[in-house]
Amino acid sequence: METSRLPLSSSIRGKLISAGYTSLSSISSVSSTDLARDVNITDTEAFEILKMANQISGSSSCNGGSSSLVNGAKNAWDMLHEEEALPRITTSCSDLDKILGGGISCRDVTEIGGVPGIGKTQIGIQLSVNVQIPREFGGLGGKAIYIDTEGSFMVERALQIAEACVEDMEEYTGYMHKHFEASQVQMKPRDILENIFYFRVCSYTEQIALVNHLDKFISENKDVKVVIVDSITFHFRQDFDDLAQRTRVLSEMALKFMKLAKKFSLAVTTKYTEGSFQLALALGDSWSHSCTNRVILYWNGDERYAYIDKSPSLPSASASYTVTSRGLRNSSSSSKRVKMM
Amino acid sequence: MKPRSLLSQSPTTSLKLTTGCETLDECLRGGFPCDSLTEIVAESGCGKTQLCLQLSLCAQLPISNGGLDGSALYLHSEFPFPFRRLHQLSRSFHLSNPSIYADHNDNPCDHVFVQNVHNVDHLFDVMAKIEYFVKNSKTRLPLKLIVLDSVAALFRSEFDNTPSDLRKRASCFFKISGKLKQLANKFGLAVVITNQVTDFVESSDGLSGLRIGNLRCLYSSGRRVVPALGLAWANCVNSRVFISRSGDTICQEGRDDDERSGSSYVSRRARRRLDIVFSPHLPASSCDFVITREGICGVR
Repeated sequence: METSRLPLSSSIRGKLISAGYTSLSSISSVSSTDLARDVNITDTEAFEILKMANQISGSSSCNGGSSSLVNGAKNAWDMLHEEEALPRITTSCSDLDKILGGGISCRDVTEIGGVPGIGKTQIGIQLSVNVQIPREFGGLGGKAIYIDTEGSFMVERALQIAEACVEDMEEYTGYMHKHFEASQVQMKPRDILENIFYFRVCSYTEQIALVNHLDKFISENKDVKVVIVDSITFHFRQDFDDLAQRTRVLSEMALKFMKLAKKFSLAVTTKYTEGSFQLALALGDSWSHSCTNRVILYWNGDERYAYIDKSPSLPSASASYTVTSRGLRNSSSSSKRVKMM
Repeated sequence: MKPRSLLSQSPTTSLKLTTGCETLDECLRGGFPCDSLTEIVAESGCGKTQLCLQLSLCAQLPISNGGLDGSALYLHSEFPFPFRRLHQLSRSFHLSNPSIYADHNDNPCDHVFVQNVHNVDHLFDVMAKIEYFVKNSKTRLPLKLIVLDSVAALFRSEFDNTPSDLRKRASCFFKISGKLKQLANKFGLAVVITNQVTDFVESSDGLSGLRIGNLRCLYSSGRRVVPALGLAWANCVNSRVFISRSGDTICQEGRDDDERSGSSYVSRRARRRLDIVFSPHLPASSCDFVITREGICGVR
């Protein structure tokens, strides 16, 4: 609702609008002293305005107190609150989580690219395990879809990582037990494997068919919180007689993933492989426009590094990580305990 | 479309093909996995073909012994094919595993199918026929291993160094790899591909080249090398293993059992090393081995 509709004197209304407070939700989220300072009015006047704004937004019961001019449009303030409340999937490497803003975000498509052997599949497996961390431990308690186009997914490796995750949770429980009644870890490694929906795709037509089917699949399996595609490029680097067709098919796929991500609040990570010596990601520039977040993995000396190449909200930063027998971990830290949020 | 249950195999490991050598098996955590493309990169004379021949025979072992209970298809692009060495290995293999062949009165060589491949188009033709071969072959053992020795030789003569040719070459890589992976997935095959190395030439601005995998640099016979076919091919394989030799030799004493005089001898063999360059399920590790008359033999 607009400030201009509030029953205020026109001078105060004018001051509010010129200070930038054009909607009710923007007023209701500041304290009265801040409002008074910003708008150059007295504290009591600010307090009155806030009371009025809260009363009005309380009585109009449209989507969580926000209202909009265009139906379906949300204002940025609400979106910010929503985004901050969104859960993130930890990568088990706290340095990496830090540069990602807490972990891989749901509702976004994240691209991970790098040379062979740098750890893209390892991150994928780690995420498909970590999404299942129960809410009591700070996780999402969800399930994962793993779309394997290259055949790199090895069950024994997933089992290894799942076992390490359960062990870490049990260690954490033991640690917390001193302070309060922490719940027993119910999950077993085999349960973790059961909650990964694994699809193996052997051609690009299968890939397209599967992506089209995902909407229905996820509607039937509401617990799915992450979709991992490893890797999206493989089948598209073969001979495509019509390059324009390839671009069309790929951008359609990208759009579908973005829609899925928004609709079901899930994270989608797609793996890219390096295309040329200048470390450009495969599939070219037209694909680059489709993705929201991009992380590039690279070698620096003997250490693996991750670099945020493109993100609407995160600053460019890099962090190092290692791949251990227990999965992804910090490189400098010698402690094996996974940092729980 | 239904997801595949990850717990359908028990124990939850993928089937692996033993190399016939305990040390190598330990390094590879059981051997070469099925439903996966493994690449062996080595300089000429390091033992790629020896390892491949040995694998073709080990595929015939029963699953309980680490084999695949199957036959092997050996596609070779380099000439000539070492038939004599295959026969030699086959004799000692037969002697050490008589039970597999006793009931059927055949010998190990009957289950290794050799096909030469001249160039890339020929390879595509052959691959198109493999599916038919697997489904309709009347052999005793089903096909379980495909060896391609070597992939680099196929591309040596046909492609120039121009960007358009390189792009065509790269799309051939993905086509070959895609087809082999499809076969591997459909029939549960293990696929082993060998590749050559080229010398690493430092560029004028002193950049040390693109690092792929666990090893910062690959050295063989004292010089720095790089796997052939570049970054595009590296993206096509699931795992890569590097065999090198360094000039070290290992002396072993032995007794010649054939001779009646029972003379002893000292053999000197070149020590070879196997490194894991990258693999989704293996940590970085390495092991040493030598090549004897009976095949590959690990060294502690």
